Amino acid sequence: MAKINPEFTKELKSYGAFDVNACYNCGNCTAVCSLSDEENSFPRKMIRLSVLGLEEDIQMSLDPWLCYYCGECSTTCPRQAEPGELMMSLRRWLISKYDWTGLSGLLYKSFTASLTAFIILATGVLWFAAYQGFNPEKLLHYGHYFEMIAIAFVFAFILLPDIIRMWWFTFSKEHSKIPLSAYTKAIGDLFVHMFTQKRTLGCDDSQVRWFEHLILVFGYLLLLFTTVFLDWFGTNNTFVIALGYIESAIIFVVTFIFVLSRVKKEKEVSKHSHPSDWFFVIWLFLMGFTAFFVRLFIDINILNTNIWLYVLHLIVLVQWALLIVPFGKWTHFLYRSFAMYFIRVKSLNTK
Amino acid sequence: MPEQKETLEYDVLVVGGGIAGGESALNLANIGYKVLLLEKELTIGGKMILLSKVFPTLDCAACITTPKVSEISRHPNITIFTSTVAKKINKIAEHRFEAVILKKPRYVNVPDCTGCQLCEEACPVSVTDQYQYGLVGRKAAYIPFSIASPRAAAIDIDNCTLCGACERACPTKCIDFTQTEEEYLVKVKSVVVATGFNLFDPLKIPRYGFGKFKNVITSMQMERQLAPTRPFNTILRPGDGKMPDNIAYVLCTGSRDKTVGNPICSQICCMYSIKQAQLLMGALPMADITIYYLHIRAFGKGFNEFYAQAQDMGVEFVKGKVGKITENEDGNLILRYEDIESGVVKEAEHDMVVLSVGVLPNMEISETFENKNLELDPFNFVGQPDILASPAKTSIEGVFVAGTASGPMDIPDSILSGGAASAETTSYLRRASL
Repeated sequence: MAKINPEFTKELKSYGAFDVNACYNCGNCTAVCSLSDEENSFPRKMIRLSVLGLEEDIQMSLDPWLCYYCGECSTTCPRQAEPGELMMSLRRWLISKYDWTGLSGLLYKSFTASLTAFIILATGVLWFAAYQGFNPEKLLHYGHYFEMIAIAFVFAFILLPDIIRMWWFTFSKEHSKIPLSAYTKAIGDLFVHMFTQKRTLGCDDSQVRWFEHLILVFGYLLLLFTTVFLDWFGTNNTFVIALGYIESAIIFVVTFIFVLSRVKKEKEVSKHSHPSDWFFVIWLFLMGFTAFFVRLFIDINILNTNIWLYVLHLIVLVQWALLIVPFGKWTHFLYRSFAMYFIRVKSLNTK
Repeated sequence: MPEQKETLEYDVLVVGGGIAGGESALNLANIGYKVLLLEKELTIGGKMILLSKVFPTLDCAACITTPKVSEISRHPNITIFTSTVAKKINKIAEHRFEAVILKKPRYVNVPDCTGCQLCEEACPVSVTDQYQYGLVGRKAAYIPFSIASPRAAAIDIDNCTLCGACERACPTKCIDFTQTEEEYLVKVKSVVVATGFNLFDPLKIPRYGFGKFKNVITSMQMERQLAPTRPFNTILRPGDGKMPDNIAYVLCTGSRDKTVGNPICSQICCMYSIKQAQLLMGALPMADITIYYLHIRAFGKGFNEFYAQAQDMGVEFVKGKVGKITENEDGNLILRYEDIESGVVKEAEHDMVVLSVGVLPNMEISETFENKNLELDPFNFVGQPDILASPAKTSIEGVFVAGTASGPMDIPDSILSGGAASAETTSYLRRASL
């Protein structure tokens, strides 16, 4: 017996979906999608499941993660039901399902909640900075510790359990049936997709988009490594300093391009922006931008007299690390690669 | 400036000489009214005269149209102006309309032309034939097609080199290059709008490759290939002249599609595609025919039986909208679609693809009404403010609408609509004489 949620399309609207009930099931979206294939035909099936309110089937499905949103389906949809945006909304919905804390769903559905969370964290950082007497040395020290602790905490208590939940939902019908060997054999796929996102290359539009994404991911991961493990803000090593400058510059330049295209709305992919999309690109931009100038201020020796900049950077960093990374769009990075991994595991098992 | 000719007076002005306008004109003329029938093309008969057979009876379209067309052209109460458009129409008072019409020169004196085609033979200029929808060529001096009415030559002045060969070849000396545009003032008591429809231009859907892939044709081109006056006398694919043996139909090309601005059903494509599929099974007994559809709309009398007959004959029906078409090196085409029954995206190879193009409104006529507004419906067809009780009425009292000018419909409905318009026009005219 399948459970039906008749309010499902209404609920999806708060995640950004449009009038999916307009769909008349012609399958044009699936046919124009260059990523859709015989094993995984989407997005029409997802629209059908959404219209019927079959939540469990959607929860089990990895199809939303297979879409990289070139927008061709939305451009050509004869009913203008925006299948591309539906897939995006389903990704948000899935994130909120995977998330055991329930915070993702709250933040996606309510702009007020997101704003409140951002303000609380900003106030907290300001209070802490005031408590430390705005002492640059102490703030830099604690900031560096915060990064390490936050990474460990978010990964261990949020992301890891969420990925386990994703696995649980995805394989809900076949948990015990899959041999361990399938998981080990497929593990390569996880890392290949995580670090190359090569699937995007299959999209008709996106050779450039793929490249921008790729250097953004690499810039971001390297900057994380440089600041956390090479102590960018504390080091005297010229190579590390230069590396950090390049990485942070890459981040704010690429995200600036992304923000601009979301403002211009020329491409299908940037036509519709949910608050969570804005948070993601703007905060990533601010991260790169403030990090760049913090290091610059250190190098020209004016940070001590301009500690406000570091406090600003810390606010952005805390909001990023405690809201966007565990509960927001950042998780795409993980879920997309795990989705590819799980699909490979499934196909190995059926063979 | 076109030459201003004398003022003409009639009872009714019928704009459009297709099957609906023709039916209206004929009914009105039979009652005794004097009718002026305007046709912008060189021949009356509209789109129907170009068709192969009609659904669901498979009667020959030309065999129904030609007697009617000949009756219209020989009727003493009907005057036909071909190559003529209405420039402006004004309502002066109830039962008083004044229209300015523009007659383009044909450069042939029609009554003197015997249709001998010697001018065609003599003409050195070849261009594509619009009446065969670009499948073959014609000369610059030409007779539109063999069952045209009037069956008289015309000079395509845009492509003519003015060499004079046709003039020298003409045995009756009916070619006259001194003809110019003529403008008339027409006084009538009532107007019937029967301006028909336009076919959807599939160039607007580049992912179907029409215009780029030679073996992707429109349903009207296939209609010409199947008609008695067909250009090749068999079915050939345009790319290399091969006889196709695996033909695909793509339904809803330009219909029910908001992205091309036409969200409504064209009402005829399902049935004409099923008809063509049946005719093709006769013309090419070994060929496979596949129809890709969204929903088959077989709602008229005998339509569903006709659909079932096609299935029994072996026409394959696949539910799924074709998303894109690509071309192989050998000119065959790959259709990508989602098979809705199984929910799986598939690709199929066909050696010829027919795009079942839809019906679009012909909006020009609303602009010719100057002092009154001929209202259009939300889809830009002529509006019917009283569609249930009085379907031929428009927003202007005394102006009536017939046929596909008011919306997509098939041939029997167009003829019915033409009849309704003539009846309502009669009742309007009778009120004038009371």
